[in-house]
Amino acid sequence: MSAGTQVHANLTEEQVREISGDLDEPEWLLETRLEALEALEELDMPDVIRTPGRDWTNLYELDFESLVDPLNAAEDKDQVGPEEADVLSWTDAVDEHEELLKEHFGSIVDPQENYLTALSTALFSTGTVIYVPEGVDAEDVTIRTEQNSRSLFNYTLVVTEESSSVTILERQSTGEEAEEQYYSGVVEVAAGENSYVQYGSLQNLSEEAYNFTVKRGVADTYATIDWIEGNLGTQLTKTEVSTTLSGDSSETQIVGAFYGHNDQHFDLDAKVWHRAEHTTADLVTRGVTDDVARSVYEGVQDVGADAWDTSSYQRENTLMLSDESEADASPKLIINNHDTEASHSATVGQIDQEDLFYMTSRGVDPRAARNMLVEGFFVPVLEEIDVDELRDDLEELIGARLRQRD
Amino acid sequence: MSSDQDHLKETDTEARFEFKKEENSAVKSDKGLTEEVIRMISEDKDEPDWMLERRLRALEQYQNMPMPSDWPGMPDLSELDVEEIIPYIRPDVDKREGVDDWTELPDEIKDTFDKLGIPEAEKNALSGVGAQYESEVVYQNMQEQWEEKGVIFCNMDEAVREHPELVKEHFMTTCVPPSDNKFAALHGAVWSGGSFVYVPEDVTVEMPVQAYFRMNSEGMGQFEHTLIIAEEGSEVHYIEGCSAPKYGTHNLHSGGVEVFVGEDAHVQYSTVQNWSKNTFNLNTKRAICEENGTMEWVSGSMGSKVTMLYPCTILKGRGSTDTHITIALAGEGQDIDTGAKVYHNAPDTSSTIESKSISKDGGRTNYRGLVHIADGAENASTAVECDALMFDNESTSDTMPYMEIEESKVDVAHEATVGKIGDEDIFYLQSRGLDDDDAKKMIVAGFIEPITEELPIEYAVELNRLIELEMEGSLG
Repeated sequence: MSAGTQVHANLTEEQVREISGDLDEPEWLLETRLEALEALEELDMPDVIRTPGRDWTNLYELDFESLVDPLNAAEDKDQVGPEEADVLSWTDAVDEHEELLKEHFGSIVDPQENYLTALSTALFSTGTVIYVPEGVDAEDVTIRTEQNSRSLFNYTLVVTEESSSVTILERQSTGEEAEEQYYSGVVEVAAGENSYVQYGSLQNLSEEAYNFTVKRGVADTYATIDWIEGNLGTQLTKTEVSTTLSGDSSETQIVGAFYGHNDQHFDLDAKVWHRAEHTTADLVTRGVTDDVARSVYEGVQDVGADAWDTSSYQRENTLMLSDESEADASPKLIINNHDTEASHSATVGQIDQEDLFYMTSRGVDPRAARNMLVEGFFVPVLEEIDVDELRDDLEELIGARLRQRD
Repeated sequence: MSSDQDHLKETDTEARFEFKKEENSAVKSDKGLTEEVIRMISEDKDEPDWMLERRLRALEQYQNMPMPSDWPGMPDLSELDVEEIIPYIRPDVDKREGVDDWTELPDEIKDTFDKLGIPEAEKNALSGVGAQYESEVVYQNMQEQWEEKGVIFCNMDEAVREHPELVKEHFMTTCVPPSDNKFAALHGAVWSGGSFVYVPEDVTVEMPVQAYFRMNSEGMGQFEHTLIIAEEGSEVHYIEGCSAPKYGTHNLHSGGVEVFVGEDAHVQYSTVQNWSKNTFNLNTKRAICEENGTMEWVSGSMGSKVTMLYPCTILKGRGSTDTHITIALAGEGQDIDTGAKVYHNAPDTSSTIESKSISKDGGRTNYRGLVHIADGAENASTAVECDALMFDNESTSDTMPYMEIEESKVDVAHEATVGKIGDEDIFYLQSRGLDDDDAKKMIVAGFIEPITEELPIEYAVELNRLIELEMEGSLG
């Protein structure tokens, strides 16, 4: 255990047994939770970027002892989907799909990967399981989670069978405003052969909240996993979205948009692991930092030795609206197969003064001109979003945030 | 092609770098790092107390610092045992500061540098040459016309004695303090040899000055220190070349380079590194740029087993500029982890980083870079471009840039591409009558052109020849 790791004196086996019992879980799942609880002491926080003289995000500073209140979780939750697919609450999933859970739970995100995944595994009390049978096209699965308690631990599993498809739209928000809250979400996606998963997420939690999420997918042969990741809320977000392209000709796209203002801190990872032949990845992220907000972006394109004929692209652009904000970026390429076309690019800059001048010279007032330019900056990302509803929501939230600005 | 270039072309470059000379030293330290060894080095050099004190303080810092361990994808240093390295060998020459007449060198050393083409280059293209053999500079010469203008080009030991005020102020104080990293601390403790360059105000040294470093003995460490002070409005181009024959055990090269670029001054620092493939090359190179100063780093890394080297520029004065052009080539068993660091600490500063790498036969190249733009560095701009070429599927090429931006009025761009040699390009060249090998050589030559065109022609030819050698037999 490294210095500063939080050990919960107040977390007990009894609490974990109680959560598991309330959900009517089978013994093996309880065991997984208890093992995760026990491992906490040995585990470190998730990796963050370190460069000489600084940690880009300091998770050790968080006071989990007071943030985590395991037995008083409360949320308002909707999970709806079409009849052809199973969109189940956690209790229903435990009841109806135990074999599916046994096969996939913890297989993509290791419960003991780090302190926060283990905490989430031991304490999650709500969740959604989406199962799409062979050949079924399931449109419009929506999951809405409103957090109404000090802490909330959420778990989501998506399993698609051969040649099926699903579009999922998840939103997280805060109900009753508490002072400080902690939201944790783990998402595992197992995309079967030739299936298509589109997973959109819009995080708009209260700006007092802390947030940790891991969204990870594994794509089988010819499968596609597309992620859309919108981050607006919280005072601190540490999130990772990643796809392992394990089947030949599998594909992934990760589209990200974020907008940080006040003293928000976003630590965002987008990662792709090319592990088979003819795989393709496209990572596009655009974000804005304003006031004293800070963004930390790490993008990884990892091409394994067996990943012949890979195409992998990554773009990350940050627009800084204030002098006091900070934007850090590290787009990494790890290439172990030479039969690869890979590129990444990252830019940081401010609103183009010439554009602004042009617009104001045409009679647009400076504030409106600036807002239009920021909205325009997000267009290339918005264009990549296939789900109309998510695109509209995101656009609206960005617009609202801009108008809040003096 | 002129006859001079023909001469260089004809020299058997491979033989030049691979031959070995029998060890013939006057003083050789024990292995490992102890206070006794440090005192012995300092005493043998007849150093003033202040320098000994700095060495001992650096040793203490070295002993208290951990090895770097948690860098993502860092090269394997487990085979490097600093305690087994001989840190100091004084070759057996009559004159301690090195001779200034080439013919006075002992035959074996003269022969070594002849084979490396040093005197030829001096005659043809350089303002002065320093040559270091093991831990000491054995030859030092500077053309009179520059000396008359107050330019100083001497070895570091001499600088400590002759120019103590300049050295006291600049030697491992603000630029590369020993506390910077473990190998900088090591360097501070055991440094020996290297060059001191001082260019007075408004003086332009039109031809490059060169230092050549040669490690000959098995299991030794070379720790030369280079200190360049370019006063306001001056201009100088410094070139270093390095080589060592290959032995069974590991060599360590841990040099320190400090460059002070004054107001409106311009310094170019070029390196062609071809250490043998059992050398751990762990260097710290840094420049501090005052107002409107310009720093240019040009480096070609061919040799070594492991290289960890990230030349760094601190843009301290308004309007200062930094350029990095690097090329790395990693073959079998090599891990070349190199890149660039730039700190934009003042407004209107700009930097450009152009990094090219080639990996083949299981070698690994990595670009590791850091661009930091401090709060208040308004109108800073930086452009980073990395291109990697991979020859086969055993090789690896990574890119790990970091960008820390604390100022909004900036223009920051990073781009990187990785690819194999294009089959279409090869096909095109073949259809014009070139065979496969020549086609690939031509593509590689085109790929590295941005760096060769920054070097004096002798060096460009040398670099091309080295790369051709590295490529031989690996194409196909």
